[in-house]
Amino acid sequence: MVLELKKIEKSFGEKKVLKEVSFRAESGKAFGLLGRNGAGKTTSIRILMNVFPADSGEVLLDGKPIDYRQVGIGYLPEERGLYPKKIIVHQLAYFAELKGMGHKAAVAAADKWLERLGMTEYRNKRLDTLSKGNQQKIQLITALAHDPDIIILDEPFSGLDPVNAMLLKDVVREQIACNKIVLFSSHQMSYIEEFCDSIAILNSGKAVLCGELHEIKRSYVRDRLIVRTEYPDAVKKDFKESCVVLPNNSLLIRLASPEEKKKVMQKLVAGYDIDEVRVFEPSLNDIFVEYAGEAADKEDRR
Amino acid sequence: MKQFGKILKFELTYYIKNKIFVGVTVFLMLLIAALMFFPRIVNVFQSGDKTKEDTEASVMLIKAEDPGEKEMIEAFFQEAFADYRVQSSEESVDTIKEKIISGEAECAFIIEEMTSYTYYVKNLSMYDMNTEIADSVLQNVYRMDQMVAGGMTKEQAEKAVSVQIESNAVSLGKDQAQNYWYTYIMIFALYMVILLYGQMIATNVATEKSSRAMELLITSAKPVNMMFGKVIASCLAGLVQLIAVFGSAILFYSVNKEQWGDHPIVASIFDMPPELFGYMLVFFVLGFFIYAFLYGAIGSTASKLEDINTSVMPVTMLFIVAFMVVMFSLASGDVDNMLMKVCSYVPFTSSMAMFTRIAMSTVPWYGILVSIVILIGSVVGVGVLSAKIYRVGVLLYGTKPKIGSIIKEVWKA
Repeated sequence: MVLELKKIEKSFGEKKVLKEVSFRAESGKAFGLLGRNGAGKTTSIRILMNVFPADSGEVLLDGKPIDYRQVGIGYLPEERGLYPKKIIVHQLAYFAELKGMGHKAAVAAADKWLERLGMTEYRNKRLDTLSKGNQQKIQLITALAHDPDIIILDEPFSGLDPVNAMLLKDVVREQIACNKIVLFSSHQMSYIEEFCDSIAILNSGKAVLCGELHEIKRSYVRDRLIVRTEYPDAVKKDFKESCVVLPNNSLLIRLASPEEKKKVMQKLVAGYDIDEVRVFEPSLNDIFVEYAGEAADKEDRR
Repeated sequence: MKQFGKILKFELTYYIKNKIFVGVTVFLMLLIAALMFFPRIVNVFQSGDKTKEDTEASVMLIKAEDPGEKEMIEAFFQEAFADYRVQSSEESVDTIKEKIISGEAECAFIIEEMTSYTYYVKNLSMYDMNTEIADSVLQNVYRMDQMVAGGMTKEQAEKAVSVQIESNAVSLGKDQAQNYWYTYIMIFALYMVILLYGQMIATNVATEKSSRAMELLITSAKPVNMMFGKVIASCLAGLVQLIAVFGSAILFYSVNKEQWGDHPIVASIFDMPPELFGYMLVFFVLGFFIYAFLYGAIGSTASKLEDINTSVMPVTMLFIVAFMVVMFSLASGDVDNMLMKVCSYVPFTSSMAMFTRIAMSTVPWYGILVSIVILIGSVVGVGVLSAKIYRVGVLLYGTKPKIGSIIKEVWKA
């Protein structure tokens, strides 16, 4: 399945929140929706989920307008919250039923997921008796219990300890393996980099960057090398100004042109005691700052 | 439709499993039971000392300064004030006053002449009818006196003044005295239930919003289903409560019917015609809906639970004004005044106003039909509108949204 947003526009009052936002996510892959606070991520997600309609533009599934009666969507909102005073299994079943499941199937699904996340002991407890991390796991179940085709996870890792984060990663990988469309929205770039094959960066309501992550990375001019060595001084002496020491003690060598890459690499390996040499690729963090940072904002205003 | 059913079930269990809801219902039923068993309980305590009561009737002193008619006046007062022990007194006015203050006597009439007297009583009650009775007694004495002076015999004169008129009032429409009490109770029940449940719905919606459960609900369920599910569930809960209370009242009354005897108010309440009960149900449900939708919509625009009380104020005021208009008209007996006629077709007031007019006056069938049709149309309209406000409102956090911006968004939605 391919989920596509095409030229979505949305204003609230005078304020234009989304300007021709387009991106596509495929099943069996994770998609990362990035952007600073107020960039329009949540609004895009709400339009995608049909909470309110877009002013213009389309939401397509496999090229046809999405039919919300046919497609199941699971959603983990950034603003977490369920019924604090209600029994956990009751509300889990209720939310699954709202998504169209029968009562028995909903209870069975809730039980299955409680077991999967190691929460069975809390089944008949009230939600507000649980710790924050555990409440978050319960919330995750509401996004998954009804076996949706599209899963939207907004900041899924915030507030989870490393063990629970690991558990969540496993669950997400399983869901991707089940050929579902998984859509991430997060500020934690490391998780996005770990999971997502393609991304879109929103800035002030515009999709400023969109595509396959590795292609985006490759699109940068490959004229820098990262060198890790026990003896940086020797390298630095020979390469002079084109070489800078990075905070982690490795070296960054700027090449005169990308074509020199092979020659310089061979020279380094032959002439020095080198642990590692590779072409510098920007991290997602760098890309994000470039496209959504202050500088990008200023450019936008000009 | 399936989704609506699930929401209805979920919201209904919220009420039924709510300890406060169950507690209040049981408490009201017990209260009704106590009320209905009251005469039986009183009878148990009173049996045995009935005779004592007569000797303890309060004392009324009479001092007639014109000795000529003294006997006649006393005789007439004895007859007119059967509840009192009427005693004639020769003491001075000051002594009589002291007696009243000390409680030895309850009240006194100092009759200076046939046409003027002074009434002494310790605390003048609002419902004290004694002077009016005394007026008519003295008028009769005076008339008799004049008749006798004019040549009639005393017997003839007495017959003339004490003539009894036999009367029969036949109401071709409604008997207001008979219908007053149950209309009053029904209107009051309607008022209480709408106010209580309206607040409950507003709080319920605002709680979902402030706990952010809304984020998930709004992406899982249609706003129209949410709104109608909540309102209909609370309406059913309200009906269950009303049926429990009125049902127990009818049950306990029938158990104690003998004890109540012909108590005029109680008997009239339980003598309600069944078709009126049908109207009650119709107007209750429709009136409930229209206000419940408004309360739900308002709840969805509040960011914090604390804001609810101020946000619902306009609707509550509207409702209280409608209630006041109906209550005053009901008390005045003129339920067909212009204001009531208008109110009985305005959807926000018609549930109470039209019901009152049906119960207390004669309204043509087409009037009732028009009122009900307008009300049903408004319920659907307000319901759909409130679902739209709900969808816009629940996603507005932070500063309280301006009414203008809400209207704009609702218009677009």
